[in-house]
Amino acid sequence: MQNLTIEANQSSPSVIADWERGVITMRGESYPENSFSLYEKILDWLASYLEASKRSLQLDLELNYLNTSSLRAMIELFDAIQEASEEGRDVSVIWRYDTRNPRAAELGKELKEDYTFSFVIVAIDP
Amino acid sequence: MTSSSPRDRLDHLEQDIVAALESGAVDEHGCRELLQRLWERTADLVVRLESVTAPEQLVMDSQRPARHLLARYERQIKILERVIRISDRNQSDLKRLNQALEEASTHDQLTGLTNRRFMTDRCRQEDRRIVRHGGSYALLLLDADYFKRINDTHGHDVGDQALVGLARAFRSSLRQEDLCSRWGGEEFLALLIGANLEAAEVAAGRSLEACRSLRLAVEGGEVWITASIGVAAHRAGETYGDTLRRADAALYDAKSQGRDRYCSAKDCSSSQPFGLASGSRHLSESQPAGPASCSSPRS
Repeated sequence: MQNLTIEANQSSPSVIADWERGVITMRGESYPENSFSLYEKILDWLASYLEASKRSLQLDLELNYLNTSSLRAMIELFDAIQEASEEGRDVSVIWRYDTRNPRAAELGKELKEDYTFSFVIVAIDP
Repeated sequence: MTSSSPRDRLDHLEQDIVAALESGAVDEHGCRELLQRLWERTADLVVRLESVTAPEQLVMDSQRPARHLLARYERQIKILERVIRISDRNQSDLKRLNQALEEASTHDQLTGLTNRRFMTDRCRQEDRRIVRHGGSYALLLLDADYFKRINDTHGHDVGDQALVGLARAFRSSLRQEDLCSRWGGEEFLALLIGANLEAAEVAAGRSLEACRSLRLAVEGGEVWITASIGVAAHRAGETYGDTLRRADAALYDAKSQGRDRYCSAKDCSSSQPFGLASGSRHLSESQPAGPASCSSPRS
């Protein structure tokens, strides 16, 4: 399987899914016109990755803003990770936020609430 | 869709319903057909709910463990609750951000007074109000005396201290309903709603007194600062720009007569209209905007 790379633009985050390292990195803001087509690619990649091996997976996020449908899709992603975690897989999420944007930290906490896998909220110093 | 799902993907009630529908038992009252329709509708409602919260491709059941209808329904409800909660929070954050931006766009950061943009809007509003309902206002244009000298001698920190002090002194010498703004560098403009010239002069005198009592901490002691004020009362037919030009000319008079005083643009019935002749303080030097009366310092 190959890596997934999606360039960032003004309304869409950069996405790098690294098959070798088992890391999906997303950076930027997410309010694309069609958030589901973006997140579908990530979900598909994630499903293939989890199916292909028993290796660990990390979702490394630095998202300053998510619109409602991105949020909805992000919940799908977390749910898939939760399921993998319940099957005994080594999965985790890192939620990075800019200290100048406390709202992003709050959002991370809010999202973390429903999951039992490792979900770390980390401040990035500007 | 659901009716073709394996039995083990249904919960107990759902299994019983499917079993009842598939049994060949006599159905005298047509209940089974009703149950069949109700069952199909229930399944359809869950699918519709799923398609609201996410498009079909994200709800591909092949990618997730089997779920019975009730579980699928409950999952969607839970997701909706979370999304609504987070969206609500986003919206209140945006509202707070909006307020902060509004504050930043209408206020001067250093002194906390309203800024020129805000004051201009309020003056225009006041002009419109006077046209419709009549009334009056007066403008006080206050300028720090020898401000450059303070900055050059003691540094910008002391200069900033002076501006903050002057702003506070000026603001506190006015009535609550009066508006006070930072108009330019070391220039402040107050709008005294409903005031005539006499009332404005009283306020100007009070403001100067408050400025005189300011003390600025500098290395090795303290220094004091004074200000000069130009006063003008709105005249019928004027816009705030006209009134301001007369206040500006009066301020120039206060400066040229020795500072630390106010001068008023006096109303006058001369044939030469005010405001048209004097464009700025420098221009008004050669073309005085009209007779002015002045206070003397510490009178």
